[in-house]
Amino acid sequence: MDLEREGGRGANQLRPIDCSRNVLSRAHGSASCSHGETRVLAAVYGPKAGTKKNENPEKACIEVIWKPKSGQIGKPEKEFQMILKRTLQNICLLNVHPNTTTSIIVQVVHDDGSLLPCAIHAACAALIDAGIPLKYLAVSISCCLTESGKILLDPNKLEEQKMKAFVCLAFPSSVHSVLTEGSINGIITSLTHGVMAGYTFLTLILDEYFQCVEQGRAAITPLSNILKKKLQSQSAE
Amino acid sequence: MESKPSTTPSSFIDQQVFPGDVVLDLSKMANQTIKLGGGLRQDGDVISVMKAGKLRFSKPNKYWVESSNKRYVPSAGDNVLGIVVDAKADNFLVDIKGPTLAFLPVLAFEGGTRRNIPKFEMGTLLYVRVVKANTGMNPELSCMDASGKAAEYGPLKEGFMFESSTGLSRTLLSSPTCPVLETLGKKLAFEIAVGLNGRVWVNAASPSIVVLVANTIMKTESLSPVQQKIKVESLMQRMR
Repeated sequence: MDLEREGGRGANQLRPIDCSRNVLSRAHGSASCSHGETRVLAAVYGPKAGTKKNENPEKACIEVIWKPKSGQIGKPEKEFQMILKRTLQNICLLNVHPNTTTSIIVQVVHDDGSLLPCAIHAACAALIDAGIPLKYLAVSISCCLTESGKILLDPNKLEEQKMKAFVCLAFPSSVHSVLTEGSINGIITSLTHGVMAGYTFLTLILDEYFQCVEQGRAAITPLSNILKKKLQSQSAE
Repeated sequence: MESKPSTTPSSFIDQQVFPGDVVLDLSKMANQTIKLGGGLRQDGDVISVMKAGKLRFSKPNKYWVESSNKRYVPSAGDNVLGIVVDAKADNFLVDIKGPTLAFLPVLAFEGGTRRNIPKFEMGTLLYVRVVKANTGMNPELSCMDASGKAAEYGPLKEGFMFESSTGLSRTLLSSPTCPVLETLGKKLAFEIAVGLNGRVWVNAASPSIVVLVANTIMKTESLSPVQQKIKVESLMQRMR
């Protein structure tokens, strides 16, 4: 059952990714990222003095504002804000500048599927552009499950709407290291939507979910390399 | 993940590094003292990168990451241009484009006593020296050099201030003199103060010279030294 994807893409093939830094002149850091047709613009302001009332003053505070392409800010936008904030809090070093606030504003320019990974890449690139200290970069991938159980990476809007389940994962990016062994493992963020099957014979094994995770992990290194190459070619020397 | 052969630290020097890259393994370098500059942190037994930029090394043992940003990370000994935001009883609050405001003690001027405290209005541009810059504390500034003399510190009157990136400020302050300033200085007479925090102040007899100098500096940021000279010459030709 070979599912024909639009544009003749393979099941594991990602859309062309483009990333540029320093696109806004007034923001302290800014980046624009596109996955195929999906485009997101991110701007970073900070670190600025002072934290919000309920935040810990011994750490830096991260504030995310998500702006949709059109319409008012509602529940879906607040959900994206919360997901992005938790992801970025994991990758930022919060004790380098205590009692400061860094604001990240994400503007959706066009949504053609795989919006959250595109936003995570744009926010990461904007944080690098602003010089905010980070533990590592985040790479993110979304995959969807077809009715027949096939896993497709980086779906576009039409594919997302037809699928029975949808997973979005964010991983720490691959790093260049002088150490021979030991790479950073783990998942930073996992967002699932829909129904995924598993074996229900005495024990419940979420087969399909873990398959998605494995395919996502396989894509970390190529994704990291693409992003680093795009960001590198623009640092003005 | 694919296993890489063990790369030596020297292979990272003068290379572009990204946050998360591990550049030094301390367990292999016992009995050595290493100094870490900006952009690097110690994570257990390894040194990893916090900011994207070029890794630099200076003998005998100093490593740092050089990057050009719009914001400034205060460090002791830097000369910066600050703007007065508020005046308190003991300090002036000065904005130096860092994560927090900096304090300039009211007595940190040559011959400063309680009786002759300078009156700076909000918005005054000052050329100051960063005395202390510790994490979690507001940086402390001074209008005197280390020996207590005024040197060139103090308010900058008239002229024009513009913002730049920290990388451009370092280029302008490098020695030998950067080609842009050298070429401009051969034909024009102007005064310039460069702050390491990404602020530059220019003053000259006529406004057209000030505008020319400011625009030239901003436009030639991303050019190589040879291109800079050519660009500056062509811009000055248009003036005549």
